[in-house]
Amino acid sequence: MTPEMKSMPWYNRLDLPGVTFILFLLLAASSLPALEGSGRNLDYWGNFLRFTDQFFPPDWSILGQTMEGLWETVQIAGISTFLASIFSLFLSFGAARTISPRWLVFITRMLLNIIRTIPSLLWAILAVVLVGSNSLAGVIALSFYSTGYLAKFFSEAFESADLKAQKALQSLGSSRWQAFQYGLWPNLRPVIWSHCLWMLEYNVRSASIIGYVGAGGIGLHLKLYAESAESWNKFSLVLICMLIIVTFLDFTGEKVRKSIREKLEGKI
Amino acid sequence: MIEGKNLRLRIGDRWLAQDLSFSVSKGEFIALVGSSGSGKTTLLRGVAGDIPLAGGQVITHTTTPLPIGMIHQDLQLAEGSSTLKNVLSGCLYRHSSFQTLLGFPEEEKSKAISLLQKLGLERKLHQWTSTLSRGERQRLAIARTLLAQPSILLADEPVASLDRKWAEITLGMLKEYAMAQDACVICSLHDLDQVAQFADKIIQVDPEKPEKWNVLINTPQKA
Repeated sequence: MTPEMKSMPWYNRLDLPGVTFILFLLLAASSLPALEGSGRNLDYWGNFLRFTDQFFPPDWSILGQTMEGLWETVQIAGISTFLASIFSLFLSFGAARTISPRWLVFITRMLLNIIRTIPSLLWAILAVVLVGSNSLAGVIALSFYSTGYLAKFFSEAFESADLKAQKALQSLGSSRWQAFQYGLWPNLRPVIWSHCLWMLEYNVRSASIIGYVGAGGIGLHLKLYAESAESWNKFSLVLICMLIIVTFLDFTGEKVRKSIREKLEGKI
Repeated sequence: MIEGKNLRLRIGDRWLAQDLSFSVSKGEFIALVGSSGSGKTTLLRGVAGDIPLAGGQVITHTTTPLPIGMIHQDLQLAEGSSTLKNVLSGCLYRHSSFQTLLGFPEEEKSKAISLLQKLGLERKLHQWTSTLSRGERQRLAIARTLLAQPSILLADEPVASLDRKWAEITLGMLKEYAMAQDACVICSLHDLDQVAQFADKIIQVDPEKPEKWNVLINTPQKA
């Protein structure tokens, strides 16, 4: 610390990270009552040990139906990511400042903000009300939810894309569409694909939980086992299967995305 | 074929040229010579119409569909596209958007591959451009503009990243292009040996004397 800084009052030495850190500490301190719970003595530790004891050994007899549920979860995630990618591509044109007029950008971004504000579980409840308790509800819920995020990511990719190749092709006489197809899109395609893969991973996780409100997939199994007594060993098997599939998707998705990134940067 | 009349070029408050006039005929290879930062790129971009001139006018006398094509110093390639597709994108103006939606005609592909063979890139046809070296990418940008076949080809330091062998092959191709296609090539160069070997005439850029660099002289070898 310089002598000039030492002579300054403490509040003048604060920068933005310092101020926000103090605000964060104040928020955490003021949130301490949330730790009290109901206030009754429920023997938390004893409960936890009893609960985890019932987890093991997992009940392997339900492996077949668990795999079916998981497959339905992956299907919900896959089709909703696909649909959301298509919707998002169109919406992202409207949301990109470098492509669309300001009024259209404003309207599209407002729409995307509204979509993103609603969590996936709430989308699932709305979809179940609309189409009943089945996997279609899950597809509708996750398609909407993913569109809010993917369209934002895609529009940011459009805005940050290097336009030089596109302009070079236009100066060589190509049409605007041709310049987009052969000048801009090749640079965007890997980035957009990388976002889609990330969304797929995310949706597999989300699709696992929306079944809890009736929107299909493995979540429904989780709900049934959690609500019936003596079924925690079945519940644990579902969790183990989910852990394996999510870890596998995380690992392969990250590998593929890293490879795409490095190839585009010319590192491989 | 191309005339610059009383061109005035300026970057901010600094004058690069105050009264530059030149005329280039069909089949000529013109070298634009001068130190770094002297205004060669600005002149080329002004002639190409990328940036506005402070005065004067550029007149082109061409009948081809693509009057001017430029090889930029920063290459301006689609990094996530293959070498072949980048070259083929030079011929887009000859075809409709519908025709090129799913690919390119075989005839164009043959021309592109032939150019890439001459420039030593035939083994990297389907490789992403981002994975090529700087020198390879420079040759690729040249191939794209040659496939476009502009009447006036402007090249901004097209051999800056090439070794002597490839620089000579590339400049030879540009020279051959000018003669075979009755085109004119204006090319900024630093190496005076290359200038003497390939250029028909020189435009000497001198930032210290913006009022005097409107000279179009024969190369020393050919004077």
